[in-house]
Amino acid sequence: MIVEIHHPHSLEELFATLDGADGEAKIVAGGTALVLMLRQGLIAPSRIASLQRIEGLNEIVERNGYVAIGATATLREVAATELVRANAPALATACGLVGNIRIRNAGTLGGNIAEADYASDPPAALVALGASVEIAGPDGLRVSTVEDLFTGFYGTTLDSTEVITSILIPISPEMTRQAYVKYRSRSSEDRPCVGVAVWMRLEEDSETVGELRVAVGAAASTPQRFTDTERLAHGTVLEELPIEQIADGYAEQIEALEDFRGSAWYRKQMTREFVRRAVDSIVGEGKVA
Amino acid sequence: MTDNSRNRVGQPMPMLDAEERVIGTVKFTLDHMVPDMAHARILRSPYPHARILEIDTSLALQRPGVICVLTGEDFGPESGINPWYGQRRKDQPIVAIGKVRYVGDPVAVIVAETEEIASEALFDVVVEYEELPFVVDATDAAKAQAPTIHDEWPDNECGAWHLEHGDIESAWQDADHVFEGVFTSPSANHVPMEPHVSVAQWSDDDGSAEIWTSTQSPHGVHGALVEILNTQPEKVRVHTFNLGGGYGAKGGVKLEPMAVCAARKAGRPVRIALTREEVFQTIAKHAATIRIKTGVKSDGTFVAREVDVLWNAGAYAVSSPRATQQGMVRAPGPYRTPNVRVTSHAYYTNTVPTGPFRGAMTSQVCWAYEQQTDEIASNLGIDPIELRRKNLLRDGDTYATGEVFPHVHYLDLLSEVAQAIDWTPEDAAVQWDGRSRVARGKGVALLIKHTATPSRSEARVQLNSDGACQVFSSSVEMGQGARTTLLQFVSDELGIPLENIQAIQPDTAFTPFDTTTSSSRTAYSMSFALREASNDLKEQLAKVAAPLLEASAADVEVRDGGVRVTGSPEAGLSYAEVLSEAQLSELAGEGVFQSPEGYGVLDDKGQGIASVHWHEGAVGLEIEVDTTTGKVSIVNCHAASYAGRILNPVMVRQQNEGNVIMGIGPSLFEEYVYDSGQLVNPNLSDYMIPSFLDLPAKLTSRSLESNKPDAEIHGVGEMTLPVVGPALGNALYHATGVRVYDLPLTAERVFRALHADDLEEVS
Repeated sequence: MIVEIHHPHSLEELFATLDGADGEAKIVAGGTALVLMLRQGLIAPSRIASLQRIEGLNEIVERNGYVAIGATATLREVAATELVRANAPALATACGLVGNIRIRNAGTLGGNIAEADYASDPPAALVALGASVEIAGPDGLRVSTVEDLFTGFYGTTLDSTEVITSILIPISPEMTRQAYVKYRSRSSEDRPCVGVAVWMRLEEDSETVGELRVAVGAAASTPQRFTDTERLAHGTVLEELPIEQIADGYAEQIEALEDFRGSAWYRKQMTREFVRRAVDSIVGEGKVA
Repeated sequence: MTDNSRNRVGQPMPMLDAEERVIGTVKFTLDHMVPDMAHARILRSPYPHARILEIDTSLALQRPGVICVLTGEDFGPESGINPWYGQRRKDQPIVAIGKVRYVGDPVAVIVAETEEIASEALFDVVVEYEELPFVVDATDAAKAQAPTIHDEWPDNECGAWHLEHGDIESAWQDADHVFEGVFTSPSANHVPMEPHVSVAQWSDDDGSAEIWTSTQSPHGVHGALVEILNTQPEKVRVHTFNLGGGYGAKGGVKLEPMAVCAARKAGRPVRIALTREEVFQTIAKHAATIRIKTGVKSDGTFVAREVDVLWNAGAYAVSSPRATQQGMVRAPGPYRTPNVRVTSHAYYTNTVPTGPFRGAMTSQVCWAYEQQTDEIASNLGIDPIELRRKNLLRDGDTYATGEVFPHVHYLDLLSEVAQAIDWTPEDAAVQWDGRSRVARGKGVALLIKHTATPSRSEARVQLNSDGACQVFSSSVEMGQGARTTLLQFVSDELGIPLENIQAIQPDTAFTPFDTTTSSSRTAYSMSFALREASNDLKEQLAKVAAPLLEASAADVEVRDGGVRVTGSPEAGLSYAEVLSEAQLSELAGEGVFQSPEGYGVLDDKGQGIASVHWHEGAVGLEIEVDTTTGKVSIVNCHAASYAGRILNPVMVRQQNEGNVIMGIGPSLFEEYVYDSGQLVNPNLSDYMIPSFLDLPAKLTSRSLESNKPDAEIHGVGEMTLPVVGPALGNALYHATGVRVYDLPLTAERVFRALHADDLEEVS
């Protein structure tokens, strides 16, 4: 079957393109995921709609207390943009660790989220930072948290006529710290075996933990948070943060999966180790956002 | 005396086409197109073992743009084609005939106007299969009840060799200690950057075939096609251009019979280029299980060594029936062990066919013998460097094949790598305290291998009337720099500047026979042929020039690009002047390297002269182990090989260090993974190769040279790859006290070994 490639110039044109394909169309942004799936015969769309010619869809701006990242901003742009680096350093780090420079120059943050590949870096950071996505569809806009968007293994709540238009990262108040730590079990260009993002808000005394979020990526089908375990940190002073307990809690609760980067058992052990390292890093020398 | 300052040999020159390579204008075989060319895709078996009941191509043939479909039914007696081929056994069909033997076995070749149409039509061919029991592991394939993969070899046997040296049975009595272990090494892929590609055309007028193909052995492919097509040698012409990497993956016949037969059926030139997944399905490294037992005196002197190697041949023999003999010869390691027994057996399985992998059949056995050598040292409380020094082969020693080695360089190689990593006796102890996050340790490994024997290389050098020279050689340039080094060599032999010498790309119609570009044989054997060819040319020049110089041929000398009367102050004649005055348009010299009669032939106890040329390599390295993850990283690595005489230090260094880089992958994380007979990681995301960030923080190398100016040239293409795995294994032991017997040393495998005692959940 011959695949039609469309280059809509606006969202309206995009929806018209999608509408005419009876659910057989796929949206492509950077192409780093879609092309692989096409080549491996995992998908066989009749029509591909590219987002590249839609104006303004890759802008990164501050808007109403959020860093708003256009869906087609590349991972490289996200990692290198000062606004992101200053306000969402964990996300900048995660985007800067994806694959290699060639992938980061092509792959987009919106595409990364929409693909919902479990073995990826940005999702965990987005979940820990409490990010949301704006989703456009023929019936208008809707907003979802990234955490709610992911429904399972490569699954999202997006339907085939919807497209992510931007990613909203709340600009953290003073006295917050965040980090992303990636563990590669094989090559230095590998996807994560485990990736851990942490976000922490300190109380005004600058030593009592007000809130801790820990999201573990790549170990299960979606980024995992265990809020009961996170709450072990609340109200403790930094020096007495129960890091080991939190790390153990995550290792025990995570329902890890197995792939070429490690068995389920190994991932549990690495979840413990990298939750420990990630939390430890913001206790010690975490950047104040 | 010749003016040495003008010599090109020994000069550290980059590849002659380095700039074109960097900017991307070098032509690879993958870039070759011919007019009116059609494109083919290969339909492959989805089953590990199945009978083909029926193939229905009618739907595919109805698809617009599809030209024809080639299947096993095209090779009946009336076709005139011999469809079964193989370097050692004719057990492989051009495309499946009657049954398929592994997932990926070619079943049909679909020829269409475009690659896209051919790809679409893959889904149109309907094949009815009857599944058969299959076997993936060589140990299982060796069992009596295993399914038979080839009727002609009902026991699945695919190579069986035995070596017996000294009196091993009584030697065990002399041993104070006996060490025994089982080591495993999985299958892996060569991952050449350029996939396999063939473009073939067929002429119905005279029944001739012409093919441009990514092969390391154009004449090997030529010979095979002549047999397959049942025709005369002059009816087949094979070309190659630069290969984007070979490493053994492109040795022997691969796509060529499919491409030629598809072109014959289509009546059009046909191109087949593999996808990455298909490269994984075409050829792989032998998985092996090695049982090794060594008897030693209390002082560490080796008295006996017994090695049993079981190789997984995959679904077709390729080189296995003979390569298993090479593996046998290398299995005892470079030691002066007086009593040795080796058995080497390969078995067919329903997996990707296996063949040589850079340093063929050596990585597997070296992984076993070099780790066991270290185990012996640690058990006896002897420094592993000292234990090696005591037992390594030295000049005049007899090897396990009964051959006496007059000159070996193992002690120098050992000192070279030990010094480079600052080895001290304290390094023999386990370094880890059991608590700290990072453990550091050092390890070394050495190897013995030999070049494929018998073999033959022919060369022709042709001088044209303008003084320019053309070198006709079938040595394949695959990134190793062979073309540059061989031209440097000819430049000196003939006294012609490099810029006036041109290499003719391998073309079996013009470039003479050469067995293969593999086994680190080219610099050695082709330079020998080129020297003979150059001498032949110089003799002819002397004969032609003598009357012009009014002297006898015996009184003229040919050097520095000219011919003159010996002892005369006169300038003499340049080559161009000789040819033009003699009214010759060209003058050519020919030369041959042929391994001596009887070399490469061993008796039924594996005794004899195994090779014309032995290879010696070593590596020393230091690692860091993250004990909280099990991940190993290399902080310092020094590779060393013996080169005899170095033609080009840049190329030698790149080989020594490139070997290490390539060796890191299968040592730390590369491996084929099969599930229910399916290869489940045939892509570069699931199967990762090292990136530049995985290189040792410090990587250096040295090649030892002879002090004789005209010393033998030694191949260096493979010698520092197979040692990487066991040196890492030894370093891991010295770092942590944990020894791992199975490759690769994945983070998880190391982590489990490190925490086997304190983690109940380990399973």
